[in-house]
Amino acid sequence: MKPRRPIDPYWMLAPTALLLALFFFYPLLFAVEKSFYDWDLLTPPRYVGFDNYRALLESGELLDAFTTTLSLSVVVVIGSMALGLGLALALNRPGAFASAVRAAIFSAYVVSWVSVALLWLWVLDSSAGALTLTLRKLGIPTLDWLGNPRVALYSLAGVTIWKIAGYAMVLFVAGLQDIPRQLYEAAALDGAGAVRRFFNVTWPLLRPTAAFVGTTSLILSFQVFDVVRVMTQGGPVRSTTVFVYAIYEQIFINLRVGRASAEVVVFFVVLLALTALQLWAWRGKPKGARA
Amino acid sequence: MSARTLARRSLVCGSAAAIGGVFLGCNDRRIPPGRTGVSLWFTYGGRNREVLEKLVQAFNTAQNRYYVHGVFQGDYFEGLAKLRTAIAARAAPALSHVVGEVIPYLAEAGVLEPLASYPGAAELDLIPELAQQKSWVGGDAHPLVCLPFNRSTPIAYLNGEIFARAKLEPPTTWDELRQTARALTLKSGDQVQRYGFGCPISWWFWVALVGQAGGEVVERDGTVSLGGEAGVRAIQFWQTLVADGSMKPPPGRDYNAWEATNQDYLAGRAAMIWTSTAFLKYLEDNARFPVVAARLPRDRRFAVPTGGTHWVMVRGAPAEEKAAAWEFLRFMHEPEQAMAWATRTGYMPVTRSAIGRLEREGYYAKHPNDRIAVDQLAVAMPWPWSPTLFRVQQEIVQPRLESAVFSKKDARAVLDQARALANRSLG
Repeated sequence: MKPRRPIDPYWMLAPTALLLALFFFYPLLFAVEKSFYDWDLLTPPRYVGFDNYRALLESGELLDAFTTTLSLSVVVVIGSMALGLGLALALNRPGAFASAVRAAIFSAYVVSWVSVALLWLWVLDSSAGALTLTLRKLGIPTLDWLGNPRVALYSLAGVTIWKIAGYAMVLFVAGLQDIPRQLYEAAALDGAGAVRRFFNVTWPLLRPTAAFVGTTSLILSFQVFDVVRVMTQGGPVRSTTVFVYAIYEQIFINLRVGRASAEVVVFFVVLLALTALQLWAWRGKPKGARA
Repeated sequence: MSARTLARRSLVCGSAAAIGGVFLGCNDRRIPPGRTGVSLWFTYGGRNREVLEKLVQAFNTAQNRYYVHGVFQGDYFEGLAKLRTAIAARAAPALSHVVGEVIPYLAEAGVLEPLASYPGAAELDLIPELAQQKSWVGGDAHPLVCLPFNRSTPIAYLNGEIFARAKLEPPTTWDELRQTARALTLKSGDQVQRYGFGCPISWWFWVALVGQAGGEVVERDGTVSLGGEAGVRAIQFWQTLVADGSMKPPPGRDYNAWEATNQDYLAGRAAMIWTSTAFLKYLEDNARFPVVAARLPRDRRFAVPTGGTHWVMVRGAPAEEKAAAWEFLRFMHEPEQAMAWATRTGYMPVTRSAIGRLEREGYYAKHPNDRIAVDQLAVAMPWPWSPTLFRVQQEIVQPRLESAVFSKKDARAVLDQARALANRSLG
């Protein structure tokens, strides 16, 4: 069938396409171009070929930033999914109380990152923080949560999980409510216990939701910046210098636009590859499954 | 003009201000009619911001030709990043202030306005150690591009109550500092209740230690030596104090670590700290104990770097805005304003006449803490005029100082690596 007004979809898409082109594709292409230059914004750019990429590789900065970010991401993705799913299973019930608890947990997600970071800065203070004082009162040894290079990254991961678990929970609750009750009844009649019902009914049907939650948590954890900026500024000893913070540091502190652009390009490629890999892994159907 | 046009204009103005966050175009409506407006981008929060805003207000009411509009731009490095971006976008304000370490870089990039030919520039009566002349090695050999604004040195802050109770005097040598810090550290089992000493693991304090150990970060011929053996001694000084638990290296970097150090001092968790004279009034106002300021101790000699920022004018700004900015700078260098700025913040007065008047009026006799930084100017070390110095600081030295102190790496190996990198990639 021939559409009567074939041009309509294009002008309807135009505003979004224009915004994407202006604020996404153009800056990306700009970054790709500038990654081949030595440029500090003030003096004329100087073409240096792949020198920026080489410098990042040779100094180990790229690998460090990637390893740090990946370590944070692994903890954040697993932590936020596990906590979100656990909360969703516990709170997927009718009633005002469950609804109020769900709203309270989700509220952390809508608070700004900077506020969350400031709040946790106070909680995690190694001398007078609420967590330190509570643990001390209970006789549990405490750690220098933000001052110890081995601990700081995981403290930030914990804060990130706390912030986004509510979002994962809401998505999992929606996914759980989409599962027909009859399936649980049939499984129960077949003699399946609660654990079996979870693994044979709930989890397979939650896979698309889990894929979505996992992907968004991954992207979000790769984009973490505010908590690093406010709580640790990439330290101590660069132990929390994640990818986005490394880019910020190059451009705003070291005044190296070219090197920052090279990091942006690598970051984009890495994120694209990871997202594709994760979607492929989650959406891949078991062999022999029917469509 | 129709209401609709007005509404549209308001919307456009509102959006532009929100998106750009810069005071251009639409903000002109704040400028009283008939005056030339000039934006001043500044980088202080808290008390120092209030003092500066009052001085700006005083300038705006003292005359009716110009109008200075102050805009807060975050900390020093955020402000610098925004200034540089604005210069590239040809939207920079005529007036701002930047840290000394980047002045040679900005000057060599040709973005700073030469100031020597402005009326009255030669009669500003500046203290050479705080002005371009002696803040840098051979500073007067370069065209004048900056004027001193908030100038500081690191000083020691002692908790007067704890020192009086322990009958201890301010340490004057590194050995005395180590002994004092140990004596004042309070432990309960493994937990430290109070540290004897606190200091941000930061470039500025390391440069002070290098100088005290008899070294220079950059030699007179431009070689980045990082102090040689003195640089190693400086790191080892911190390492020893941290290892025996008498010094707390604060978490966070840059100014967050500085703030953490201040809070440790105010809360009595550190008996003595090193930080900038800039915090003198803030600490005096907020401490529940007598604040005693003292000069930094010596190892082989007394030495301190100067810090803080200098006024700069942007070369590409419109001529009438530069004229307005210059009038404001002259106003700020008059004794009343130089004295007001110094006595309300803790920074040093930048003109001889201001210091002379404070001396004659008995201010320093009444406020001996304010005198410490001024006295330390006698041992102030000039910075090298090096366009790459801030990169040596930010990219090479600062991260390695942290790794040496927090991860207990060998100080000599860390500095050897830093030196090689600095001379290879930046030299």
